[in-house]
Amino acid sequence: MSEYRKYQCSVCGHIYDEAEGDEETGIAPGTRWEDIPDDWRCPECGAEKSEYSLML
Amino acid sequence: MHVIIIGSGIAGVSFAEKYRSLSKESKITLITRENDGYYSRPLLSRGFSMNGIEQSIILKTFDKLRASDINIISGAVITAINRSDNTVSISGSSQENSMHYDKLILATGSSAFIPPPFRPYNELFFCLNSLVDLKALRKFRLGLLNQNRQPDWAIIGGGLIGCEVASDLAFSGDKVTLFHAMDRLMERQLVAEDSDLLLEVLQNSGVKVLLNQDVQGFAKQEDKVSVKAGVTAEFDALIVACGFKPRTELAELAGLEVGRGIKVNQFMQTSDEAIFALGDVAELPNGKLYAFILPIRNQALWLAGFIAGHEQQGWTPPVFTTRAKVHGFEAVHPYNI
Repeated sequence: MSEYRKYQCSVCGHIYDEAEGDEETGIAPGTRWEDIPDDWRCPECGAEKSEYSLML
Repeated sequence: MHVIIIGSGIAGVSFAEKYRSLSKESKITLITRENDGYYSRPLLSRGFSMNGIEQSIILKTFDKLRASDINIISGAVITAINRSDNTVSISGSSQENSMHYDKLILATGSSAFIPPPFRPYNELFFCLNSLVDLKALRKFRLGLLNQNRQPDWAIIGGGLIGCEVASDLAFSGDKVTLFHAMDRLMERQLVAEDSDLLLEVLQNSGVKVLLNQDVQGFAKQEDKVSVKAGVTAEFDALIVACGFKPRTELAELAGLEVGRGIKVNQFMQTSDEAIFALGDVAELPNGKLYAFILPIRNQALWLAGFIAGHEQQGWTPPVFTTRAKVHGFEAVHPYNI
């Protein structure tokens, strides 16, 4: 099991942390980025999933 | 400690949520003229092509925010800030008409800027600056579609919002003419080469783009509206998209220092130390207004930390960029923001 990663929304700066998931939008802790549905949107600004990029 | 926030856009809501998480004891009240909840402003530009937008644009209902122990007074307008006794006067709320604050956060955003020559005709055009505006536009459009008429729009203004709206309406099948005063589109944000590319993308999507247009006014012609520029042309409806104007009126009335926006120091503090400003309305010491989502959210989170006592240094703008939501358009060069 590789480490959990973080992804950041380029529109508003919101960070999705795989370890934490996103309670507000019903994404369970530990959910991998690729397992989040494609129609999921940024909980803070509504941007599409494609606006996020991996944080290095 | 009672913190009152005015405004439920990304500035007000991000601040409220962050401050709630940092300070369990403080009382937080957010007062807003909105009734629909916290919604995504960027999505307004996709308001015609997205199905179910009137629901999906709402990111957080007010009840959801209330569940986080943020007192939301919706559908209410602040009529005055009374600095002598640290109170705000509220109109339209059934709960209270005056409320005391220890800290006041002005996050009132901006309204559409209407150039003076257009103001006498405000019954003749739409704007797209809020969810209320979008709903009015969608209702009008549906009315025409229900009569089997494909709407024929004129968009006045070829800046960011004008280009986005023109694109989305054309994408949705409508006829669109875009009037722009300058010789190229989005000249403030794009280099000339990208303006040309944008023009090509819009034209290919069916938008008729008219540059160097001196629009002088509008007139009602039975069920059409005409635009008076070089020649006069008729449309089903007009949308004026000529930029934004920060809502500074309350601050001005209260005697705070106001320039283009409400003047703040590096701590987002106005000329009254108990009053702060965030987002579109805040004018930083460098004279800039940071009217983009990323720096606004960054300001809001920073201010929550500052008021909670976690930040010592002033706010510094983060690196950010933007991107016009024009279907099929990607700028080659960075935006000038």
